[in-house]
Amino acid sequence: MIHNYFKIAWRNLINNKGYSAINIGGLALGMAVVILIGLWIHDEITFDQNHKNYEDIAQVLVHKTANGKKRTRYTMPYPLGNELRAKYNEDFEHVVMSSFHGDNILSVGDKNISKRGGFMEPDALKMLSLNMIYGNWDGLKNPNSIVISQATAKVLFGDKNPIGELMTISNKLDVQVTGVYKNMPFNTTFNKLEFIAPWDLYVSSYTWVKESRDNNMWDNSSYQLYVQIVNGSNMSSVSSKIKNVVYDHLPEYGKKSHPELFLFPMKDWHLRSNWKDGVNTGGFIQYVWLFSIIGLFVLLLACINFMNLSTAQSEKRAKEVGIRKSIGSSKRQLINQFLSESFLNVVFALILALILVVLVLPAFNQLANKQIRFPYNNLYFCLLSSGIAIATSLIAGSYPALYLSSFRPVNVLKGTFKTGNSASYFRKTLVVVQFTVSIILVVGTIVVEKQIDHSKNRPMGYEKNGLVMLEKVTEDYKGKYNVLRNDLKNSKAVIEMSESSSPLTDILSSGGGFKWAGKSPDFIPNIGMIFIGHDYGKTIGWELTKGRDFSRAFPTDSTAFIFNEAAIKYMGIENPIGKIVRWNNQDHKIIGVVKDILAESPFKPVKQAVYMIQYENTSWINLKLNPEKSTSASLALIETVLKKHAPNLPFEYQFVDHSFAKKFVAEERIRTLASIFALFAIFISCLGLFGLASFMAEQRSKEIGIRKVVGASIFNLWKLLSKDFVKLVMLACIIAIPIAYYGMRNWLNNYEYQTNISWWVFAIAGIGALIITLLTVSFQAIKAAVSNPIKNLKTE
Amino acid sequence: MILQIKNLFKWENSGGNRVFLLNDIDFTVNEGEFISIMGPSGSGKTTLLNVIGMLDGFNEGEYTFFHKEYIGFVFQSYHLIDELTVYENIETPLLYKKHRSSERKALVADMLDRFNIVGKKDLFPAQLSGGQQQLVGIARALITSPKLILADEPTGNLNSKQSDEIMTLFKQLNDEGVTIIQVTHSEKNAAYGSRIINLLDGRIVSN
Repeated sequence: MIHNYFKIAWRNLINNKGYSAINIGGLALGMAVVILIGLWIHDEITFDQNHKNYEDIAQVLVHKTANGKKRTRYTMPYPLGNELRAKYNEDFEHVVMSSFHGDNILSVGDKNISKRGGFMEPDALKMLSLNMIYGNWDGLKNPNSIVISQATAKVLFGDKNPIGELMTISNKLDVQVTGVYKNMPFNTTFNKLEFIAPWDLYVSSYTWVKESRDNNMWDNSSYQLYVQIVNGSNMSSVSSKIKNVVYDHLPEYGKKSHPELFLFPMKDWHLRSNWKDGVNTGGFIQYVWLFSIIGLFVLLLACINFMNLSTAQSEKRAKEVGIRKSIGSSKRQLINQFLSESFLNVVFALILALILVVLVLPAFNQLANKQIRFPYNNLYFCLLSSGIAIATSLIAGSYPALYLSSFRPVNVLKGTFKTGNSASYFRKTLVVVQFTVSIILVVGTIVVEKQIDHSKNRPMGYEKNGLVMLEKVTEDYKGKYNVLRNDLKNSKAVIEMSESSSPLTDILSSGGGFKWAGKSPDFIPNIGMIFIGHDYGKTIGWELTKGRDFSRAFPTDSTAFIFNEAAIKYMGIENPIGKIVRWNNQDHKIIGVVKDILAESPFKPVKQAVYMIQYENTSWINLKLNPEKSTSASLALIETVLKKHAPNLPFEYQFVDHSFAKKFVAEERIRTLASIFALFAIFISCLGLFGLASFMAEQRSKEIGIRKVVGASIFNLWKLLSKDFVKLVMLACIIAIPIAYYGMRNWLNNYEYQTNISWWVFAIAGIGALIITLLTVSFQAIKAAVSNPIKNLKTE
Repeated sequence: MILQIKNLFKWENSGGNRVFLLNDIDFTVNEGEFISIMGPSGSGKTTLLNVIGMLDGFNEGEYTFFHKEYIGFVFQSYHLIDELTVYENIETPLLYKKHRSSERKALVADMLDRFNIVGKKDLFPAQLSGGQQQLVGIARALITSPKLILADEPTGNLNSKQSDEIMTLFKQLNDEGVTIIQVTHSEKNAAYGSRIINLLDGRIVSN
């Protein structure tokens, strides 16, 4: 029997090649999208799961309160690690203090490379369950050792076993390789951690770290702390135990910020990293949800096509149903027949979809910045795919099966059979659903695009073109500011040079303790601090709205402050020029106010910031290239000059405009993915519409023939056939607009600096949908309208 | 006796009026009869046949059929399944009755042989002439060895030569013991049968 079902299904498929192509092709596209989204979601939610102790690892974070607002910070004071080990030993399997990870120069002989890494306590290797290729988890116990990733080892030592080899970190620390770990998977937080050096080395080599150890400084938070709790104990109960550990050790003035420690579980690091007022507000997880919903919708659209085309074809199949019933088929047997037919279609679609996925996966990876591999041998994947296939064939096949099998044979065979109103209402509803979803997706894509544009076109407060930044990763440039500046300017490669403590695309430090006349005693200010050289303003081209720039002509400028406009507003100082701000036990005169410089997130308001002269703490060199020279010529000249002063440093630079553009990467990725999926949704909907229109034209061929004979023009007929579809799409617009508005309003609320949703966004989506509908339907309508009426009438 | 109809009514409501499709139908059919139902267009012939074949219901009256499973249908426009070959069309009723594969093969082969269409078994309906299609239709009706054949103008779409062949075949089947009820317009075809029921406006006017 089954054999027979498949036989007739196959012949139907072959006999109606057009419909089958639309049906199976549409379904395959939908499934391919769902599979891709599924792989993507799997990759996202298995983030960090390569660590064996995934469930028990956490980072210690702190909520600090200032001016009634809780802020969440990642920085911990030095003594905290030892304190947890000493007093809460029964709660923790491992306690690992760590430096912030950053780019460092690693050298072997005359080979110098820049790699991201950090200093961690010895338990790090065991806690992260690193896969050691050479050496073991004891690799960090000796303070002059280093453990490196497989990739780092390959670059520095080739394929040989590097255990025991000597190398240098930051041209300063001599270490010996004690271990090599396998590269971590792409979807891990520590993926870019290319080396780990011992914490003790960090402490002994950097004075400021040593000071915070020797003076037991609870009020200086500059480190990270990772822990692994004892298996079986509970994150939140451990969190509440350690909540006040920092608070209890702080001197009275520090207690004001009321730090509350808590554990941030590894499973939330990637997807739930947003905090607002001490509460976790999710994060990337919203995109996982968003894409899950899009995936389901796309599959739904494809299923709708399937149902629509199948019921549309029902008149053709009606006769067959009538005959089968009159020669003894039960309803159940017919349902089985139609379900096996839909199953066959779905299996073809699945095969096609899998092939599609294999083909586009590389492009998809690039687009989504992933390294997803096709899971050929993953049992879950196979089960999931077959699950999707069965679910799809049931969803898509059930309505046609029930509908077709319930035809009454006598009506069908008498020839008086017409598919009822209910079927056509069902079909119309499905078309409306399809277009509603498509329009929502289009509106969403336009709004995301608009938000990105809006943020990109914000005033920067400086001139970012032709600006190059270099990070001073070692101390080679120490005390060479003036020599370097002279040499570079003389080379004509740059027109100005300066240094700063933060790159132009970030504000790395901020501080409190500012006092000024008129400040309310309850107000605890937190102001971004940027230490700069005298030539900073000229280099970046900032704009002073009040007062003047720093100048070497005034020796007192060494203690002067320049604030940005946001800071002046934040502090509430009127007529700021000449006013005194007290900070760090010193008076500082305000000599100027600059336009806000957009350094941090382009989606947030600019942070209040102060600029002051300091040549000690600067770690970034900023260069304004000479516009009269080509960029490549300038860069070559710069490299020559720099090599003269620091021969062991690789020449690594960033263009400020590129670094700024990177701030949009996440949003742009979302936009690209969303727009591709929206495109798929529209395409699948159109495919369905095309099939349906062609079917309607075929059904009405007799009517069209008669109308033509009595004098209808092609335009009349086109109007006749298109009208119904246009009505449906307009209805879809009316439903989609409020839903899309509400959804996008919600999304925009993630951003403090947000665009508005103008009426034209909806106009574009709606008119676009109408035009696409008309184009799709017109092809069929015109084809039917120009055909020879005699032919159509004769077939009756 | 193979079936009995007593005081059967079937009607439709149209604009507040009750329109009778079948009006007080009353007759019995005995085994081995060859009955022709005749009457002008719209007199209810096909409706009556459909009621007999239980493809359609009725509103009032009594209808008894004594061998429920065993009815074969033959239609004016053949109603073969276009996607199936001759062989498969004939085989389909057996599939629904869940016969074993070997048994099906034997029965279908027998039928093809009997109607002399072995050479056409792999053709699709569209590749056959009308007469040949009707032969397949009859073969399909006979494959389950029905006690009763209901034929709705079986020769309505055929030329006179083909008509004669089909009617001769019916006569032959009737001689072999199959009960046949046919709807027909043609006196000539009716003459093959043993009894004529004349309908007018849903009523039996002569039996």
